[in-house]
Amino acid sequence: SVPAASETTDLSHLINKLLAADKADHKYVEFDFLINGQFLRMPLVTHMEMENISTEEVVEIEYVEKYMAPQPEECIFHDDWISSVQATEEWILTGCYDQTARIWSLEGKSIMTIAGHTEVVKDVAWVKQDSLLCLLLSASMDQTVLLWEWNVEKNKVKALHCCRGHAGSVDSIAVDCTRTKFCSGSWDKMLKIWSAVPTDEEDEMEEAANRPRKKQKTEQLGLTRTPLATLSGHTEAVSSVLWSDAEEICSASWDHTIKLWDAETGDLKSTLTGNKVFNSVSYSPLCRRLASGSTDRHIRLWDPRSKDGSLVLLSLTSHTGWVTSVKWSPTHEHQLISGSLDNIVKLWDTRSCKAPLYDLAAHEDKVLCVDWTEAGLLLSGGADNKLYCYRYPATASDVGA
Amino acid sequence: PCPALTPLPSAPLQDIRNTVGNIPMEWYQDFPHIGYNLEGKRIYKPIRNKDELDMFLEKMENPDYWRTVQDKMTGADIKLTDEQVDLVHRLQKGQFGDVHFNPYEPAVDFFTHEVMIHPVTNRPADKRSFIPSLIEKEKVSKLVHAIKMGWIKPRKPKDDTPTYYDLWAHEDPNSILGRHKMHVPAPKMKLPGHEESYNPPPEYLLSEEEKLAWEQQEPAERKLNFVPQQYRCLRAVPAYSRFIHERFERCLDLYLCPRQRKMRVNVDPEDLIPKLPKPRDLQPFPTTQALVYRGHTSLVRCLSISPSGQWLVSGSDDCTVRFWEVCTARCMKNLPVGGVVKSVAWNPNPTICLVAICVEQSVLLVNPCLGDKLLYGATDQLLESYVAPEEERVQPVQWVMATMEEHSKGVRLVIQHSKAVKQVTWHGKGDYFASVVSDNSNMQVLIHQTSKRWSQNPFRKSKGLVQCVLFHPIRPYFFVATQRYVRVYNLLKQELTKKLMTNCKWVSSMAIHPGGDNIICGSYDSKLAWFDLDLSTRPYQLLRHHKKALRSVAFHKHYPLFASGSDDGTVIVCHGMVYNDLLQNPLLVPVKVLKGHVLTLDLGVLDVLFHPTQPWVFSSGADGTVRLYT
Repeated sequence: SVPAASETTDLSHLINKLLAADKADHKYVEFDFLINGQFLRMPLVTHMEMENISTEEVVEIEYVEKYMAPQPEECIFHDDWISSVQATEEWILTGCYDQTARIWSLEGKSIMTIAGHTEVVKDVAWVKQDSLLCLLLSASMDQTVLLWEWNVEKNKVKALHCCRGHAGSVDSIAVDCTRTKFCSGSWDKMLKIWSAVPTDEEDEMEEAANRPRKKQKTEQLGLTRTPLATLSGHTEAVSSVLWSDAEEICSASWDHTIKLWDAETGDLKSTLTGNKVFNSVSYSPLCRRLASGSTDRHIRLWDPRSKDGSLVLLSLTSHTGWVTSVKWSPTHEHQLISGSLDNIVKLWDTRSCKAPLYDLAAHEDKVLCVDWTEAGLLLSGGADNKLYCYRYPATASDVGA
Repeated sequence: PCPALTPLPSAPLQDIRNTVGNIPMEWYQDFPHIGYNLEGKRIYKPIRNKDELDMFLEKMENPDYWRTVQDKMTGADIKLTDEQVDLVHRLQKGQFGDVHFNPYEPAVDFFTHEVMIHPVTNRPADKRSFIPSLIEKEKVSKLVHAIKMGWIKPRKPKDDTPTYYDLWAHEDPNSILGRHKMHVPAPKMKLPGHEESYNPPPEYLLSEEEKLAWEQQEPAERKLNFVPQQYRCLRAVPAYSRFIHERFERCLDLYLCPRQRKMRVNVDPEDLIPKLPKPRDLQPFPTTQALVYRGHTSLVRCLSISPSGQWLVSGSDDCTVRFWEVCTARCMKNLPVGGVVKSVAWNPNPTICLVAICVEQSVLLVNPCLGDKLLYGATDQLLESYVAPEEERVQPVQWVMATMEEHSKGVRLVIQHSKAVKQVTWHGKGDYFASVVSDNSNMQVLIHQTSKRWSQNPFRKSKGLVQCVLFHPIRPYFFVATQRYVRVYNLLKQELTKKLMTNCKWVSSMAIHPGGDNIICGSYDSKLAWFDLDLSTRPYQLLRHHKKALRSVAFHKHYPLFASGSDDGTVIVCHGMVYNDLLQNPLLVPVKVLKGHVLTLDLGVLDVLFHPTQPWVFSSGADGTVRLYT
């Protein structure tokens, strides 16, 4: 039994003493404590009162090593607002409001600036990475998605394909796990699936004759590519798309719904209905949950498999502005980060839904995009033209009982 | 005997002292002696053998008689010396006994009001003045001890209990109230009329037939229980014969009067107010400020939004028009127009990408080149496909093609008016638009057709200063708001169909419900009038929620919301539900006051606008910002 008024530090001391008694070479470790999957953030007795746990019963307290704070690493300066970021083990790809996409090394060195769009670049994505050739995508407000080939050795980019078909700004793109297809969501309420495999042939535009300006065609970069399939069903702009599975697309929209589509047949599988505009959605294959950021202050977690539609499992509340982007940890099933218009990036653990684990308050203006790489790098870009990188050590699972 | 002894007898003679003390000497009146000397021997009274004559002779002859006094204690006569006489004189005059005492010594003004630079004494302060006094300390410690022991009560609590008592404290309140409740006032007596007068007007006097009829009636059936009579003067009136009878009847009235109370209906005034739903149940509506669109350097007068809700356009006093991306507050375009922008209007037709901008005396039609390339390309084509008619028509305005430089900025057409333009509004189809000119003539309102580049003046006469105009969203109606009235014209029949009285002093703005049957008017006297066009020409409700003048009102396209922006810097969002059922009146509930704008130059919010698809409201303010509330 432990004193009811004890807090995490007291419990932490207790565990450390026990461990020190076991092993002579034990070093002091800070712990966090979980009661029925909820982080202990206040004295034990108040927590139990809040959660309606009887003091008569035996309460199991789980302890985990306390997560270290993310360490700031780099601050990469851009010329304009950063609309999107995606990083791999070696490179960071950002989309910028100055109509370019940029490739940076992890150390913050500018490697490549990809210019070609005639409007703001809204989203970027890596398709394939080799030591020699990389394929990447950029979606823009000029209604096209460009497929680029980047020769790493020569450090040259070439626009391979220009994906035409959207009638509005393309706000979001997502590449599937086979790296042969990608999906794009646009302001024109449509989702389109495209092939991501570079070819030498040019697709015929169906209504090429109707185009008002033939000039544009000659000006354009790369070969025209048309969509493999079009998924329509949203009644408002699509703000975010992702592949939740090899054959399943998830899209979030301004019409207050998240829709799940079968990529093969193009059918609508299910609809999750919220009551606010969704800005961003993220899926974690580890915990099989969707996290959505919307135009209120909450991050909501959804179970995409639930049939009864609009069931929010959990809402994480601490932001004071719109949540513009959310991203699950690729390695940890409970953790995610979120960026918001209140200039703060927050690192969350779903076991503590009232308060985030850490606030990363470095931005001086709206945060527009966040990313989390498998190597444990947190990235956030925003309207202050800066991309911040944080190193977040992935803690080994060390759960006691 | 011996000469040395001779003075001795004289000495005791001289020193005759009486030892009786301070007693009334009358006590010795009847004795031969007058007291006792130091040795206890009697002192005998001197032999008084002098009679009145001797006394008189001595008074006359003895020159020292005036200074001879009798010693009461010994009865001996004493002759006063000169010094003693002087002393007596001085005392009689009220002077001091001592000759040498001077009561009027010159005064030395030791302490003066003047502040001296040197101290009175230059003595250094005593050591004891630095050392706390032991005695005082002891005294204080004694007091402290006494307080601690409770011997001394510091600040004894005042006894507040009043010395008087409440006489009626123990009386049952119900009995008193009951007594008051049951009070029934006595029935009032009828006041005397003209017929009771001693000299009634002739029409009150009974004629012979009437008198006969009166006499034949039963006493209970008579209208009057007396016959009016006329007397010459008041003195001639005889004693009232029915006095006892009448008093008796009055007593009967009091005794028999129904002791019954009239029951008043007991209604709580709160219950009479119609129940309004709680704002919480009326969601969604904008609640918090989400984004601030910064960039303008002067007051932002007007806002408009693209039909898709992706782009926002704002016009400002800094002579620029800015185009914003709604979801990120990014300024996509900044169009300098070289004049104060009074009004902007985005074409409501989603297939046309065109913005009308009022700058001084002209209306600019601008293609912002935002959104779908096909759409804005098609818009340009549409504008270019104009073919000028063969014969020149007389128009109240001039349509001018934009110059190359202007064209590159997006301006396509300039419609030049003769006076400053203050408002522009599109028809729902997106081909016609109306502009309001600040003028007093009948040229205040003009309707333009974009595709034919043709303008017309719909009114022959001016009906007052036009504040704003509006097209009906569905039917061919046209609303013209003057200072106090809103006139509804049928454009097909070309006639006035309705005239709405706003009950306001000066209408500032007007908005129409998307259903087309309700309009709201904001006014400079801080009222918002809601009109139900089917109901009446007077306001269905007049809302006075703002503290200062209203600048702008707006309806939402889909949600039952309307908003008003005011000089007090707030936007008030109200729920305005319109029912299809004609019997049910619209339900208006204020749901939220949105604050955020900083008051600048005594101006707050200048324009409000709803997002076309989301329950979001934009407001532009005098502080140069546009704010989005979600």
